[in-house]
Amino acid sequence: MTRTPSRLQVNGRAVELPGLPDEERLLDTLRWRLGMKGTKEGCRSGACGACTVLVDGESTLSCLTLTREVEGRAVTTIEIGPEDPVVARVRSAFAVAGALQCGYCTPGFVMSLAGLLRERGAAASREELLEALGGNLCRCTGYASILRAVDRLRSEGP
Amino acid sequence: MTTPTSRSRPDGEVKLHGAALYGTDLDVPGMLWGALVPSPVAHGTIRSIDLSAARALPGVTAVGAEDLDRLLPFGARDEERPLFPRGEVIYHHQPLAAVAAPTLAEAVRAAREVRVAVDPLPIVSDLESVFPEWPGSGAANSPHVAAHVHARHGDVEGEFSRADRVVQEVYRTASVHQVALEPHACLAEVQDGRWYVRTSTQTPFGVREDLAVLLGVPESSIVVRGTWVGGGFGGKGAPLLEPYALLLARASGRPVRLALGYREEFQLGRTTLPAVVRMETAVTGGRIRARRVRLLLDVGTSLPGRDFATGYSIGFLLGPYATATFEIEGYAVRTNKPPFGPHRAPLAPQCAFVVESHLDHVARESGEDPEEFRARHIWTEGDTTPLGQTVGPFGLGAALERARETAKRWRREAPPGHGVGVGVGFWSTSTGAGGEVRLRLTASEVVIEQGEREIGSGSVLVGLPAVAARSLGVPRERVRVDYSDTSTAPFDSGVFGSRTVGAMGRAIEEASLQLLAVLGKRLAGGAPATLREADGRLLAASGGHEAPVADLLTPEERTTGGMVAGGRHFGPPGTLDEHRVVDGTFYAYRDFTGAAHVAEVSVDRETGSVRVERYAAFHDIGVVIDPAAARAQVEGGVAMGLGTALTEEAIWSDAGELENAGLKDYRIPTLGEVPPVEVDFLEGFPGAGPFGAKGLGEPPMIPVPAAVALAVREACGAHATELPLSAERVARALKLL
Amino acid sequence: MAPFELVVPSTVEEAMAALRTSGPGGASALAGGTDLLNDLDDGRARPQRVVSLRRLPWRTLDWTGGQLTVGSTLPLRALEQDPEVARRFPGLVQAVRAVGSVALRHCATLGGNVVRSAPASDLVPVLLSLDAEVDLVGPRGDRRVPLDRFIRSSRRVDLAEGELVRSIRFPEARPSSYLWQRVRPANDISQVAVALAFSPTGHAWRVAVGGVPPRPVLLPGPARLLGSGAPGPEVVRRAAALAGEEAPFVTDRRASEEYRRRTVSALVARAVAAVLETPEFPR
Repeated sequence: MTRTPSRLQVNGRAVELPGLPDEERLLDTLRWRLGMKGTKEGCRSGACGACTVLVDGESTLSCLTLTREVEGRAVTTIEIGPEDPVVARVRSAFAVAGALQCGYCTPGFVMSLAGLLRERGAAASREELLEALGGNLCRCTGYASILRAVDRLRSEGP
Repeated sequence: MTTPTSRSRPDGEVKLHGAALYGTDLDVPGMLWGALVPSPVAHGTIRSIDLSAARALPGVTAVGAEDLDRLLPFGARDEERPLFPRGEVIYHHQPLAAVAAPTLAEAVRAAREVRVAVDPLPIVSDLESVFPEWPGSGAANSPHVAAHVHARHGDVEGEFSRADRVVQEVYRTASVHQVALEPHACLAEVQDGRWYVRTSTQTPFGVREDLAVLLGVPESSIVVRGTWVGGGFGGKGAPLLEPYALLLARASGRPVRLALGYREEFQLGRTTLPAVVRMETAVTGGRIRARRVRLLLDVGTSLPGRDFATGYSIGFLLGPYATATFEIEGYAVRTNKPPFGPHRAPLAPQCAFVVESHLDHVARESGEDPEEFRARHIWTEGDTTPLGQTVGPFGLGAALERARETAKRWRREAPPGHGVGVGVGFWSTSTGAGGEVRLRLTASEVVIEQGEREIGSGSVLVGLPAVAARSLGVPRERVRVDYSDTSTAPFDSGVFGSRTVGAMGRAIEEASLQLLAVLGKRLAGGAPATLREADGRLLAASGGHEAPVADLLTPEERTTGGMVAGGRHFGPPGTLDEHRVVDGTFYAYRDFTGAAHVAEVSVDRETGSVRVERYAAFHDIGVVIDPAAARAQVEGGVAMGLGTALTEEAIWSDAGELENAGLKDYRIPTLGEVPPVEVDFLEGFPGAGPFGAKGLGEPPMIPVPAAVALAVREACGAHATELPLSAERVARALKLL
Repeated sequence: MAPFELVVPSTVEEAMAALRTSGPGGASALAGGTDLLNDLDDGRARPQRVVSLRRLPWRTLDWTGGQLTVGSTLPLRALEQDPEVARRFPGLVQAVRAVGSVALRHCATLGGNVVRSAPASDLVPVLLSLDAEVDLVGPRGDRRVPLDRFIRSSRRVDLAEGELVRSIRFPEARPSSYLWQRVRPANDISQVAVALAFSPTGHAWRVAVGGVPPRPVLLPGPARLLGSGAPGPEVVRRAAALAGEEAPFVTDRRASEEYRRRTVSALVARAVAAVLETPEFPR
């Protein structure tokens, strides 16, 4: 059932979604309604983290989120531009550390880390950063280069 | 060669901004969403498949077996691999029909509206139901046996009867899946006699070739365009969804997107299936005198004669060990599961686990030091392998020495209750036919024109430019990789088998030599030129003369975009000593590479949980083409191997259904389970690739379960003979249960 | 996945009415959605209407009268990050951190987990060991039910039509510990789990196990054996052994009954030691 247009903020831009079905997932709204393919579909059941975005700065599994449930809130995806300094920092650390191979899990990892850094800032311990990534699966890198990116983030400071 | 460093990936930016489009991201206006109609049983006779209710839904296209003659210009050709079965379904979820609709929800609904009537037939669900006992003579003729291989050499019976000691063991290994994060996905269009599919694949040309057979359409009217690939690991080699997407596109006249959900990814995946191995070794005076190996390999519904796995994998069960007298026999056993398909290093990690665990056990039973015992028999250059190949330059001995030194040091440093294990493995690189490239030289850059997409390993976007840069003497930044689809790209067999840098690299070398020769002639009429870069431009020098490349190009070359040279490399096939073959087809290994790994584990003595604390990997790589990419391959392969070792197991029910399809119940390692991996490469034992390189895509997985298993044994005495080494299996091996 | 109507009530009364007024498919309450949305995808749930609880004033953490009351729609992540909760209910925080992943816990809720009552729920065993109570609101008024009675079996709880869980109440802070056995340490479901807690006022232990069909349970035998204070090693050993015998484990594809019995004994002994070591354990 669909009703009044739903409104969200996506990457700082107000978005109106007329005719949005109540059962639509945030993952599908982003990818198919808004054409933003950066957020990836993996297991679609909350186990792999590939679909991770930020909602009001908190990491969220977009495959398990009804778009209508985040009406009026701010969604941040991997497509956010350099205006987001936290995501930019994470991107840069990943780029320098070569912390990706096929890249399919990468948006999820970047958003999970960005979410924790927004939450805890410079106080984030290594253990907390790694815990934040426990729900993100990677099959290519063996996580080693990702951990190097995390260490780079920590050593660089805020 | 040590200390590989991080290096940015050329595809980093596009992927870090979410701008890389994978198969699952394909999206064109007017496209329909496809869905497959799965068989509800693993084995049965088809009474009817009624598409009428599905077709009655608005906007729905449905295709089944009876539509193939109408849709395909020459009818379906491949009787052995029908796109839709007519008489019998042979595995659970086998596609019986396919539908397309304007939205995914409608497609799923339409698929459910297809009325399927199947009369169940008895299900062969596992190896034990076919062979409750080891097969006797004549078993090779059983209809359940897809292939039988048998080879021997020397006086096997005599050596066994004379030996001081004979050790016999049985091992079991589980089915594991590739688990690329991106499921299979493609987008197909059929227009004006052109069958066009964009797909996430490791083998665009292989897909084209297979589609031609499956659809009965000439290769020239098929175009395959690869997308970015979200991991392949062997699972995205053969076409899976493309034929169905193309049929739906043909039937509907619209583009059709077809992708698998993650449960379907497991249910339809072609991958490593369970194996049971019996190992027997005869030992006298600290030396292996003879070995017998028997392999029962579940190959699912692989066709008789099309089993690639048994004759390929069984050689790994003898390991990289000098074995003059041996007998190996393998049965590819058909069960009602999808056909066995290639995983990363197909069955080799499982084989290495079996060999290493067994020889370790044999040594212990014989009162020998287990590492010393194995080291004594490791191949060196010039040795003859059991199937009669000659081992070329082989660095496993050196790698093993480094591994043993590391193990010794870790044992000294390790807290009580920890155990350290050393496992080795070997691999045969350069599989698959071969490849071609074009090199285009302009005033300022070199472009590699080729037909492979980067699947993640870096072999295409890092490895190939590295080879070109080195061959031509230009900086890496001056080399660009261009991709084009099968209609215009030079042919290549595909990104698999650890062959990409090897085969395409040699083609690049050949093209490079041509370019340098031509430049040299144009400069001074003499020796091949050398190249260098200055201020963003390329300069060629020969015989004391130097000139900008821009000045050396002909007017035609300037107009058409540069000087082009082609290179091609098709590796020679390996050789076998056919006298040793009694039955069946064996694969001839060539271009051997070895690896020795060290694992330190701690074992929870009450629960059996294994934790990997430290890990080191030593690889006989020939030459390091790119240190960061090479290191990344080892780190990734080790993590994947840890999954095979400890947590990954696809569980099939008696009804032939996969019980743990999906990422919740099939567990790949998470970030916290993989310790840092020390990586070191041994150069100096050249292989067949450019500058003596050997393939690295698969070897890092191979010794992992072996190293972990031996570490577990040292830590707590548990001798596990099954993979994965789950906590419960270790608890059983510890006699806790 | 079948379409449904989403209703987002602003008051509890509206919510209860929305749950009651519904067509043949029934209505489901939506908290964090991490269970419901999976159920919708699997076809396990086909409600005509989904009632979102996000506007209700239940994202709360309250310490009135020294008792902790957690609103049923408070995201788990908020619970685990509260230092007072960590200090006074260590087992609870250990259990919360075992659930899924951080991203999942930004949405998942205590109320949702309790109502789903999965046999391998990480939270239910701890809640049982803490003698948690469930506060319900409904068309016929409010009521409070001990969790042990509220949960009947997997996916079956004592919720009458139109009723909702408003909060979960913890009568007293207890030194507590939650330990589990899984295939992998993160992002997984427990094969076996134990929750131990000691009541400082009642001078009694609680032992609960998870990974037991049809629902996690308290084991009175081992709890009694552990006595009224700090048990010695021999008592712990006997209590652990008894837990292995009493817990109603079965064999399933995740683990065998034998393995679970053996493992639960080991975990009980360790959990007792962990509780004894917590700073809050009465000396």
